Amino acid sequence: MTAANNQASRYDPAFANELYSIENGHYIKQCMQCGLCVVTCPARHLMDLQPRKYFKAIQAGDRDRVLKANTPWLCTSCNLCTVRCPRGIPIIDVMHGMKLYLAQKQGVKSAPGALFSKTFFDVMLKRGRQWEAWLTQMYFLKAGPSAIKDALKMMDVAQPMVLKRRLPLAPAKTIKGKSQLKKIYEKAAALAKEGH
Amino acid sequence: MAYTFYPGCASEATGKASFISFEAVVKALDIDCHGEIPDWNCCGATLVANAIGDFAQQAIAARNLALAEKEGKDILVACSSCYLNLAWTNEKMKTDPDFKSQINEALGAGGLSYNASLQVRHLIDVLVNEIGLDKIRERTIKPLEGLKVACYSGCQTVRALRRPDFDDVEYPVMLDRLVEALGATAVPFPMAARCCGGSQQFTNPELIYDLTGKILDCAAENGADVIVTPCPMCALNTDAFQQKIAKLKNKEYNMPVLFVTQLMGVAFDLKPKDLALQYNIVSPYQKLAKYGVKK
Repeated sequence: MTAANNQASRYDPAFANELYSIENGHYIKQCMQCGLCVVTCPARHLMDLQPRKYFKAIQAGDRDRVLKANTPWLCTSCNLCTVRCPRGIPIIDVMHGMKLYLAQKQGVKSAPGALFSKTFFDVMLKRGRQWEAWLTQMYFLKAGPSAIKDALKMMDVAQPMVLKRRLPLAPAKTIKGKSQLKKIYEKAAALAKEGH
Repeated sequence: MAYTFYPGCASEATGKASFISFEAVVKALDIDCHGEIPDWNCCGATLVANAIGDFAQQAIAARNLALAEKEGKDILVACSSCYLNLAWTNEKMKTDPDFKSQINEALGAGGLSYNASLQVRHLIDVLVNEIGLDKIRERTIKPLEGLKVACYSGCQTVRALRRPDFDDVEYPVMLDRLVEALGATAVPFPMAARCCGGSQQFTNPELIYDLTGKILDCAAENGADVIVTPCPMCALNTDAFQQKIAKLKNKEYNMPVLFVTQLMGVAFDLKPKDLALQYNIVSPYQKLAKYGVKK
């Protein structure tokens, strides 16, 4: 393959169209590259592609750069870019859509944020409510041996939390309507799939 | 106005002190609050939409709205993330007929429906705009004179509806007014609606060290004795991570972090068990001693 061909195949309009069709993906078309989201984002210094470039890469169909970028996983949901965006793009919603897409495409182990979100959801759906101590254990179990080092680094934070009873080790309450909640979720997930 | 309360999952763990002091303050101010939404479920926080998408998370959040509508009373929320999920879903139910019919189709699978008849209100909104600062001033028995407070509203508290809600989306002032009604001084705090890093403690811990560090620095530089917040996530990061961040940045902080209802409890001279200060990680006793707070 020639260099020119390589360059041509880097940008794939079909990839852009694929992302425009995910949940909240159509908003990406509205981006005019003003960069206000970049000066706004509190996590920008840790992003491979800051939001403006991330949206440009999607619009250009730059598949590899988009799929490798850590951008959505650093979004903290603070909503500041969303209230500031002059084109009215709900950037937080776009990031949610991208995270769901990436987790489905690359698997939940492709990013710590994907695994943590999925674990949070599984615990929540099973019990109806969150139980942080259990969530933490489940997350590190699923993340595997390499994550144990990270877990140990957090012991200085976890210990006082346990001592001050802010991380109860005993099971939290579960709700009565667990099966009702599951039915609502399953129906909603099916409707969301139909709509996109 | 009569309310049912949505406590949120943090009320049972990391934000237990918020829950205990909330109940005591509700009683002290005679707020017409009729217990919890029966069998409420997790709102999804900032994480569930990442795993299942916005629409499905909002359907899960909407189960709470449907259950509350059966009680026929507006919903009072103290946690900022819960407020965002419930208030934003409620706003969409009221303004987007297609969304409403789709959510109701999902709720219908569980035998529920929601007619969007309720308001979802944040605790700060209800305290300032409904109960009123006069009543809060009147109820204050021990004015917190001389106490300098950094009022940390938190990001989701004021941006839930993505437009001005009960306060400014970037420079909120309601929490400052509330704290001043207790006799304390609200110090200038430009980080009042900036992010602490949220729930990324395990997934991107360096983000928490950085952002929460900036919040702590800003409070210290402006001479605050304590930080006050309504948000369990802000409270967790600024309190539980404070010593770790101090060590990493080679700094010293002594910045107790109180839920706003804990501080109100001090000013209202409520019983120690109502203040729930034993849950605080950075000890607040020394700084609150002159207002009669004992261990």
